[in-house]
Amino acid sequence: MAPALNSAPLEDSWTGEDATIAQIERELARLRYESSLGSSQQNLRTSVMTHLAWAPPEWQTAAEETLAGMAERHPSRTLLLVPKPDEPDGLDAQVSVRCFPIGDRAICGEVIELTLRGNRVQAPASLVLPLLISDLPVFLRWRGEPPWDGGEFEQLIEIVDRLVVDSTEWDGLPGPYARLVELFDRVAVSDIAWARTERWRSLLASLWPGIAEVSKVRVHGTPAQAHLLAGWLRSRLHHDLEVEVDEQERLEGIDLDGEPAHFPPGRPPNASDVLSAQLDSFARDPVYEAAVRAAAATPGV
Amino acid sequence: MTVAEANPLEAGLHLRRRPDPCILVIFGASGDLTSKKLMPALYALAFRGLLPEKFGVVGAARSDETDEQFRERMKQAVQEHARDPFQEETWEQLAAGMRYVTLDFADDKGEDELRDTLTQLDDERGTGGNRVYYFAVPPSAIGTLVEEIAKRRGADGWIRLIIEKPFGHDLASARELNAEIQEHFGEQEVFRIDHYLGKETVQNMLALRFANGIFEPIWNRQFIDHVQITVAESIGIENRAGYYEQAGAIRDIFQNHLLQLVAITAMEPPIDFTADSVRNEKVKVLKAMHTPGPKHVVRGQYGSGFVEGQEVRGYREEEGVAPGSMTDTFVAAKLFVDNWRWADTPFYVRMGKRLARRETTIAIQFKRAPHPPFEDGGEGLRPNVLLIHVQPNEGVSLAIGAKVPGQGMTIRTVHMDFLYGGAFREGLPDAYERLILDAMLGDATLFTRSDEIEEQWALVDAIVGFWQRDRPSFPNYAAGTWGPAAADDLLHRDGRSWRRH
Repeated sequence: MAPALNSAPLEDSWTGEDATIAQIERELARLRYESSLGSSQQNLRTSVMTHLAWAPPEWQTAAEETLAGMAERHPSRTLLLVPKPDEPDGLDAQVSVRCFPIGDRAICGEVIELTLRGNRVQAPASLVLPLLISDLPVFLRWRGEPPWDGGEFEQLIEIVDRLVVDSTEWDGLPGPYARLVELFDRVAVSDIAWARTERWRSLLASLWPGIAEVSKVRVHGTPAQAHLLAGWLRSRLHHDLEVEVDEQERLEGIDLDGEPAHFPPGRPPNASDVLSAQLDSFARDPVYEAAVRAAAATPGV
Repeated sequence: MTVAEANPLEAGLHLRRRPDPCILVIFGASGDLTSKKLMPALYALAFRGLLPEKFGVVGAARSDETDEQFRERMKQAVQEHARDPFQEETWEQLAAGMRYVTLDFADDKGEDELRDTLTQLDDERGTGGNRVYYFAVPPSAIGTLVEEIAKRRGADGWIRLIIEKPFGHDLASARELNAEIQEHFGEQEVFRIDHYLGKETVQNMLALRFANGIFEPIWNRQFIDHVQITVAESIGIENRAGYYEQAGAIRDIFQNHLLQLVAITAMEPPIDFTADSVRNEKVKVLKAMHTPGPKHVVRGQYGSGFVEGQEVRGYREEEGVAPGSMTDTFVAAKLFVDNWRWADTPFYVRMGKRLARRETTIAIQFKRAPHPPFEDGGEGLRPNVLLIHVQPNEGVSLAIGAKVPGQGMTIRTVHMDFLYGGAFREGLPDAYERLILDAMLGDATLFTRSDEIEEQWALVDAIVGFWQRDRPSFPNYAAGTWGPAAADDLLHRDGRSWRRH
């Protein structure tokens, strides 16, 4: 549940076509300076993390909505990278500083939206590196299925501390999980699909020890959630179990040996809440990794 | 597969600490604390799914009220004071386990009725005999209640007692109260509440000191010139003359909140974060504090003045206050912690009502740079100060010297700020949420132990002892100022001054 937050942000922005990094940095400094002019408030630049989001045009709107929902909770420098490889070479930028009042001061986060056109898509790391805030963790939210062997993905993986994906956005599961497993020793990974199963995993854990004898699980949810829950149960209980998926847009229920489990208490978190929680997580998640390995090792449901 | 085997499915889950099923009994349920703090805190816990699924609340007070009237009054309190939006569904779940018992605290009949209500609720809610008793009542009522509870203690379940301040009036009464409680209950069952310890920023002091390698090596007499702790309120006594006339600032703030802040600032690193490890270290600090002499303590009482542009009356003109009252509404003191780390390092503390603004801060003032090699000798340079803002604007700032842009080498003091809300935009929980939940979970880390409270009272008694012999000319500061001139003199005599605001 989103916390009760303060009043609407104060925002100023700059847009530039065929922009350069130097221009972006200059405009950011100017916007930060101007945001404090004419205000009795002292504006503080936030220094928590750099948050990258790779959002191809088909994901751009969803990415912007999610980011808007969590901007105030996780004030950070956010770089939204929108690749448009089929357009003429160039880099367009929209830079904005958003300040949220807190008492007699305001906290300012920065959003840099970069449209990478043509050949600029090939070297995103070279655009991102100069814009990272030093000494702070870097999170990369990759919308859709990553191009596992793609140069742009490889480059960004090398410079981030944590990769956040949502395997619900992937086709052909569980095949892609085998590729994801290959990344585990290179970067910490979070999966929104996995995070959305947490309430249900807590519920299933509360059914211990009876659940240890369960031999068949039917998941009313997305294929990703079905694979991950099945992988989790297999890896934790150390035995195989039969899994069926009743495909739904979200996780709506789980049957254990034909008996529906009680609905977990509380409300499901929204997209911003789920992503926000992942940005608080720094270490590798061995339970998730084992679940993905188990999911990758089993045939399709 | 055996039942005793560890649950492999719990690994990696962000399981929230959820207490056992239980009933919370609030003695003093008709008071302001219940409606302004306790019930909104319970609602916040319910809102976040942190209360046990099987849970009940029983309000107990002298005034006549039905269950339905109590629920309605608590609903209004939540709507007015809760930090979260009001959700009918969440409220209904909480209200379903809510009862009220009219209780004269010295009356057996009322106690029996309370027991019957609790037994009935146990059956209805499945709370298994587990009880948290919250004593929001004067200290004089606690002994009787504790005895009655002990007499009616059932065979099943655990009992935890949360006891509000003031815990006694002096060392003798605090010892007596401890003895009365300990006759029936073990120390692990007693949770003496000081809500300051539930504040995130007070706990952040522990994080700041013990999670950062850069501070602890310089956190001692070699590098720190002195410490200033301010607990300032701009409000007056707010219709609490009956209590405040007896307590004054020394018992209302100094004995509990202020000494806790000193203890947390001065304590040695605990070996772990368990209740006894943390409290052992705090008690060592309190034992090491020597009694300040009369010259090292300043007391004051506010006269009329202006607060936030509005004229306010003096303390003696407040309703219920004796016209010649000698109650202190301000105390400043110079304290010393006599141990290896802090010998000869003063802790200047001040607290009071109707001061210039509401502020609780801990300021660690470091020693000056020994020899600034600049042309003007670092004229604009002030000593480094690490400032912990406990409230409002929770955060930490460090004053450092920086070069003014341009020719020459002019130095100015600037602030590096960490604002709590800037890094963590989760709304800060109210202290009572944390403390009620901790008590339900049986975690006493943030509660005051019996020996700790007795050490606090011993210090207060020694200070108050000096006061019996003199009659200062009250009022001695105007409302809306930073206290009497003597408080400034306390530092000026040492060549220091209170922080500028």
